[in-house]
Amino acid sequence: MERAPVGFDQNSSGAAGDFPSLLRRKGLLGPAAIAPMPQAGAAQKIWEQTEATTILAFKFSGGVLVAGDRRATAGNTVVYDRADKVLEIDRHSIMAIAGVPATAWEMARVLEHSLQYFRRTQLQEMSVDGKVRALSKLLRDNFGFVMQGVGVVVPIFATYKGNSKPEARLYFYDAMGAQFEATDYAATGSGSPAVRGILYYENHWGAKPLHKLSENEAVSVALRALDTAAESDTATGGVDRSGKIYPLIKIVSREGITTLPESKIAAVFKETVA
Amino acid sequence: MIEEPYRWVEAIANRREYLEAQLAPGSPIAALGFRDGILFLTVGQTRQKIFEIYDRIAMGAIGHPGDIERLRMAAIELASTEGFTRSAADVSLRRLVHYSLSPVMKSAFEQIYGPPYLARMLFAEVGRRPEEDLFLRVEYDGEIATNGATYAQARQDFAALSGTQQSRELMEQFLKDQHTPDSTFEAALNSALDAWSIGHMFLQAGETKKLPERAAVVQHRQEQLVNAGIEAAVLERDGSRAIRYRSLSDKELRALIRD
Repeated sequence: MERAPVGFDQNSSGAAGDFPSLLRRKGLLGPAAIAPMPQAGAAQKIWEQTEATTILAFKFSGGVLVAGDRRATAGNTVVYDRADKVLEIDRHSIMAIAGVPATAWEMARVLEHSLQYFRRTQLQEMSVDGKVRALSKLLRDNFGFVMQGVGVVVPIFATYKGNSKPEARLYFYDAMGAQFEATDYAATGSGSPAVRGILYYENHWGAKPLHKLSENEAVSVALRALDTAAESDTATGGVDRSGKIYPLIKIVSREGITTLPESKIAAVFKETVA
Repeated sequence: MIEEPYRWVEAIANRREYLEAQLAPGSPIAALGFRDGILFLTVGQTRQKIFEIYDRIAMGAIGHPGDIERLRMAAIELASTEGFTRSAADVSLRRLVHYSLSPVMKSAFEQIYGPPYLARMLFAEVGRRPEEDLFLRVEYDGEIATNGATYAQARQDFAALSGTQQSRELMEQFLKDQHTPDSTFEAALNSALDAWSIGHMFLQAGETKKLPERAAVVQHRQEQLVNAGIEAAVLERDGSRAIRYRSLSDKELRALIRD
């Protein structure tokens, strides 16, 4: 007898806990985009990487700090100055995004639901490697859109592994979905060259290496780096001194994720940056 | 032959008898709303019986593990896709059970050429206040019982599930006397354990309508807890986190048992 309304996949394959494939089966998520085949004789459009923002993350004594500016741009226009680019995925994971917001937020939403769906159906937490791979697969599925010139997303993923040997883990990605584990720091977005320079400098020749910084020192470094990026990159908001808009800073630690209150960021900013 | 109406009624009655017999040894599950959330509790022998369904929804079930698994997966799929396409606030236990699970279970039960779902489930959804907690019990034939707001009964902030009707009714009778929705976690835990013990004592014991003596309940519980572990989970009322389900370990619970 068929039981159509509650139809399930009877195969207990490795895909059993895969949320994106469930969404596709129900027609709630588009198929993985396929890049257009280059036509003979047609001018080849060179894909330009446009991720207008600055995201940075580094490990410090209290876990991983992830910071992002708040500006969203469309071409040369600033469209929004309170964008949230540092997103919580689960109790111990953060995804920070540079790229096209529509795709990035949708991707974060799929990822968030994927991890919860896996935990609920499979009755165990997804491993860190599994989570990293899940994001990689979403990027890979999106690559067709990237090649068509829309929807590029280049995220950073920070998480805390809570098993036998607790430790902070930090990954950055390219638009095709390749993942790279960062030992100390990662930065992405249009302002990232400047930030990478600062973090490299601080880590090697600063007063202390990044992983020994206290929370306040780490926040100070993050704010200085974002302010430097905003100095030369129009797509990065940095700190809006007149509007009192500060970057969004979240910390992943053994206890979970904390979002630093604006008052605290403002205090550090006033003391060490402004 | 089976097309004749009375044959069909007979087949359904046989099926009901068969299912009741299969479910009869099922270890009871108690769900109690208390000040800070909803506690699910059973004393587990082998396999897990309490599950997270969605942010504010949990489920306890007895029956065949294969059937429980299929219904559990269906509930998670429905809740997750709803929560994804709309928002977590749009996922409602009432809709999930009334419009999706119950019709499927009813038609499986009544289509006598196919197998029914051998499962009895207890769902709960935690509200902002104890008055908003929702408990739903779903039977193998799709029948639904709720924790109140019906004509015949006052609203209750608890629900029970057991292998037999009389065992369940005794648990409910006990909880009606003993449990209040503003109790602490510790009080709820002890009431839930006593309710479980009463339900377990009267799974097979004929037509009793009377609650046992307190000493007998305590003794039964102590005997059972020598070999079996406590399986429990809470749905937290605290709204600061989206995901409210938290499973509790046997060890942390044993420390809170009063006698």
